[in-house]
Amino acid sequence: MNTQEYISSGVIESYVLGSASESERAELEQLSILHPEIRAAREAFELSLEQYALNNAIPPPKEVKQKVLAEITPAAAQVINMQTAVKNTQTSIRSISILRYMSAAAVVLLIASTALNFYFYSQYRSSAVKYETLAASLQQMASENKVQQAKLDLYSSSMRMMSDSNMQVVALKGMVLSPFSKSTVYWDKQTKDVYLQVNNLPQPSANKQYQLWALVDGRPVDAGVFDVNDPYGLVKLKNIPRAQGFAITLENKGGSATPHLEAMYVMGTV
Amino acid sequence: MGRQWRPKCYTPQTANRLGNTVTYTEQELVISLKAKDQQSFSYLYDNYSGALYSIVLQIIPDKELASDVLQEVFVNIWRKIESYDASKGRLFTWMLNVARNLAIDMVRSKSYQNSQKNQSLPDTVYNSDKGGISMQMNVDNIGLKKVLTKLKAEHQVLIDLAYFKGYTHEEIAAMEAMPLGTVKTKIRSALLQLRELLK
Repeated sequence: MNTQEYISSGVIESYVLGSASESERAELEQLSILHPEIRAAREAFELSLEQYALNNAIPPPKEVKQKVLAEITPAAAQVINMQTAVKNTQTSIRSISILRYMSAAAVVLLIASTALNFYFYSQYRSSAVKYETLAASLQQMASENKVQQAKLDLYSSSMRMMSDSNMQVVALKGMVLSPFSKSTVYWDKQTKDVYLQVNNLPQPSANKQYQLWALVDGRPVDAGVFDVNDPYGLVKLKNIPRAQGFAITLENKGGSATPHLEAMYVMGTV
Repeated sequence: MGRQWRPKCYTPQTANRLGNTVTYTEQELVISLKAKDQQSFSYLYDNYSGALYSIVLQIIPDKELASDVLQEVFVNIWRKIESYDASKGRLFTWMLNVARNLAIDMVRSKSYQNSQKNQSLPDTVYNSDKGGISMQMNVDNIGLKKVLTKLKAEHQVLIDLAYFKGYTHEEIAAMEAMPLGTVKTKIRSALLQLRELLK
């Protein structure tokens, strides 16, 4: 497009004077970005208009500035209101003294309310701290309760199994290595599942684990490894269809294929 | 005007020490105004109130009413400066259009229409002690209208209707019983002559 033609079309002038249509407006804004000379023409017209208006300025009445400033600053507006009030007669003096009392009252109220705010805020802060402590201890109690509940479940199921008439009880007694050790095997006669209760076994070192063996026709058969965590719960071990006795040895963690007989802690026969 | 704006750098310190002697570049002025800086607003008023007052007077010849409108114009500039977009034109152009629109709004208001009717009654002419007729400006001798007198009469009417009375091109076409295209063409050619006259 021919920018010179556009510049001399008069669109720029009607844009500056605010009478261009929406589409002319949008077009000119677009074109001034693309063509610096169109922008320059617009600015030149704007400047000449501005220069002309400034050269032909007419000073407005002095009080207009005061009125404008009063209107844009709320505080200043109040001062002017008060000044005009002073100029008036007794009634306004009375209204000023009322105003004074009211502002004094307002100040007192403000101070009182600020003090109360501080008081309530500190109250609120200490309550908030108390609340947080309470909430934390409540949560701790809830989790402890959960642990207890789980233990209780375990114990009651252990109790049920121990009192089951199908259970064969095999008491394992302490060997030379540890005469006071004791364990009990509960052997379900129907399902042949083996449960173990550790009554008393020394705590092994971290790299060791106890292993239960079933003695079948004079030969040890692995019945599973277990940890000595809970002296009252039953640990379910392997299914053993047939056995004449049970024994526990201390093995390396994970268990062994054949027992270290020198590390046998307890043994009992069916 | 460009020359007047360029000079010293604005710093608050010089403003405090030297009072009114601070000058702003247009960009500084706009930034300060948008930051609601009262000192820059005071500067704006001192430098532009006369130019804007003459524009308002061209639309509202009554000095008292024009002063009221001017007050409204500056309050509007203060409150709406956020909406000014420097990429779309100079600050003065924006203020000019604020002033013109407020003045046209006033002229079109019911109360103004009524007051104009009253003024044509003989009673009010006698009653006006210091105001009335003497308060009316001879509009043809001020501001842009002085330039307009150099245009052809036909062009003068169209520019007056479009820019000082605020009518749309469509309204003017209806009023002057002229095709819309002709109105647009004539106004544009009048504006181009105006541009030359303003140079």
